[in-house]
Amino acid sequence: MMKLRFKTGVVAAAAAMALVLGGCGGAGTDAGGTTTLTFMFRGNADEKAAYTKAIAEFEKANDVKVNMVVTTPDDYSTKLKAAIAGKKVPDVFYVDPGSVQAYVKTGVIKDMSPMLEGADPVDLDNIWPYGVDSYRFDGKLMGQGSIYALPKDVGPFSFGYNKTMFEKAGIPLPSKDKPYTFDEFVAVAKQLTQDTNGDGKLDQWGTGLNVQWNLQPFVWSNGGDWLNEDRTKVTVDTPEFAEALQWFADLQNVAKVTPSVGEAQTLDTYQRWMQGQIGFFPVGPWDVSTYEKLPFDWDLIPYPAGATGKTATWTGTLGIAVSNSTKSPEQAVELAKYLSTNEEAQQSLVDAGVQIPNLIDMAEEWVAESTTKPENKQEFLDIVQDYGRALPANNTYSAEWYDELFKNIQPVLDGKKTAAEYLKEEQPKMQKYLDQANQAAGIG
Amino acid sequence: MTTVNRRSTLHRREQRTALAFVALPVIGFAVFAVFPLLFSVYASFTEWNGISAPVFTGLANFQAMMVDPYFWQAMWNTLFMMIGIPVGLCLSLLLALALNRKMRGTTFFRTVYYVPVISSIAAIAIMWQWAFNGDFGLINQALALIGIDGPNWLANTATVKPAIIMMSVWKGLGYSMLLYLAALQSVPRHLYEAAALDGAGVLAQFRNVTLPMLRPVTFFLVVTSIIGGSQIFIEINIMTPTGGPEFGSASIVWYIWQKAFNYLQMGYATSMSLVLGLIVFAVTAIQFRLNRRNQFSID
Repeated sequence: MMKLRFKTGVVAAAAAMALVLGGCGGAGTDAGGTTTLTFMFRGNADEKAAYTKAIAEFEKANDVKVNMVVTTPDDYSTKLKAAIAGKKVPDVFYVDPGSVQAYVKTGVIKDMSPMLEGADPVDLDNIWPYGVDSYRFDGKLMGQGSIYALPKDVGPFSFGYNKTMFEKAGIPLPSKDKPYTFDEFVAVAKQLTQDTNGDGKLDQWGTGLNVQWNLQPFVWSNGGDWLNEDRTKVTVDTPEFAEALQWFADLQNVAKVTPSVGEAQTLDTYQRWMQGQIGFFPVGPWDVSTYEKLPFDWDLIPYPAGATGKTATWTGTLGIAVSNSTKSPEQAVELAKYLSTNEEAQQSLVDAGVQIPNLIDMAEEWVAESTTKPENKQEFLDIVQDYGRALPANNTYSAEWYDELFKNIQPVLDGKKTAAEYLKEEQPKMQKYLDQANQAAGIG
Repeated sequence: MTTVNRRSTLHRREQRTALAFVALPVIGFAVFAVFPLLFSVYASFTEWNGISAPVFTGLANFQAMMVDPYFWQAMWNTLFMMIGIPVGLCLSLLLALALNRKMRGTTFFRTVYYVPVISSIAAIAIMWQWAFNGDFGLINQALALIGIDGPNWLANTATVKPAIIMMSVWKGLGYSMLLYLAALQSVPRHLYEAAALDGAGVLAQFRNVTLPMLRPVTFFLVVTSIIGGSQIFIEINIMTPTGGPEFGSASIVWYIWQKAFNYLQMGYATSMSLVLGLIVFAVTAIQFRLNRRNQFSID
């Protein structure tokens, strides 16, 4: 009797340990012969719902069970790295271009290129080149070589304006083809900055921007950049860069066309934009489902352009990668392919208003049907197709050098320090971090 | 088979069963505490990105730490934010004294002050982020009523630390208050009676009876608050996701996390956490040593 109990105890203990140590497991095959894949991703409620639907279809068609592990965007990177460190890599998971180098160097993600050809090839020409190229890496430079992930989406970060506000103020609408110059933009923004109810306080502003996410378009269109061509040198200490940053800071301090001085948090201006108090505000495809419900009319335009006269902005992207250690590589790559390129799967995401189609022909159709906002959807496509760039840290091993620029930037935004002075101080610090990152990646 | 033999067999079996039960937590402790601890000591001497194998680099991480200005600033920020600890203790003691009186509604107020303790720290951080909003935050609106134009708390180097201190004090108040309340209620009444007989007034009673009797609780709260305070992270990460203006609110744990998970420097991060762990250990040991002199007992 005792013996039996002892055995039971040991088995129970072992089972408990196995449960604890097992955590989130990788691929496996159950008794019925069905493959189980783990898919780890992040997203909001709309995205989750759209994915659940799409994946149910995939499971039916492929006799595969997909275990979805969803996290909030904030938690994603930490949880994924913990899973990788614990050798419990999900079979299929999101990666951002900024982590591709590290994951390739450490053998975490699979080179998908060979599997994208073969019997059921992916029509890479019908996916935005920007989306595919963001996950190419040849061991030295991003953007060329093998494909390590398929784009989950591409996120052209466009610029919007409050049409209703323009009409009320009797200002001619901005052109969707010809960007404002910096000076024109400030002039219009000044006209929009008003006290509409006569209580002596402003209640409507030209714009309200966040330096970390909105500075890039102005720097690029002014001819500046963060890095040199082969990503070995930080180039923020140029006059073009300084001029753009100074102009950005002056929007608050000199032109006074943004809410209260010292204001840099997006939350506020985001809320104000949605309440119809802001003239110009950035718009990404992920905002569209929310902005559709706004009580005013809005549309997309190119960002104001600096010295080059050409508008610029960035395109975000997330990729879907496959683990190198997966037990079912074929099915895992199939799932990645399905999520990235299947028309029905794409449609359910587009319908949810969280992204634009990944497939070029589908996107063109989507632009043609014009029942939903924004009217000028073509702007999104132009950004992805023609002029959108990657965020500066996307093509480096770590973003530490890039984040360094924003760490001490507040005095510049407050007008207590000039942009040129600040950038001169920062360049060597950023360079040091970039050198470290390149060294860790075995580059340069 | 003799009786003795049977009993010893039984003993042995029971012993084995007992060992099996004891083994579970012991193995758990070894696997989840001892091994990670030893491994992290090793990892702190390596260059490690958290994914591939660590490479031994000796003292390099510790040398880098000495000249890393952000490490020192994060340490300083963390230390500075501990100003909230004595403030919080004084306030919670006052609160406990108030709520220890017999009056209507004390249960209600005790509950109200305890609500922050059981609320999710993330939810609280978001709530306070709104309250600290420069333009339409609750705090600045309240200040506007008395004619003060409040700062943009979280975007200003001078106010970001006080803002986080305010929030931590508010959050911790209920917990310390409850412990003080329990301690106050267990102070023997006869001590007050004896003091009163000796002619001690209310203040003298407080100083000579209440405070000494509360000392064990105060000691406990100081030790745990310092340990907790040195680990402040979630509120920082939510309220100032970039470490605040000019790195003004980055705590040491926040910086460690940033290095480990965002910048692929797990080895360096581990060495910083080792230093932090040693500091916390040393501070706690000193506190216990100092407290020895203050120990007393009642029969």
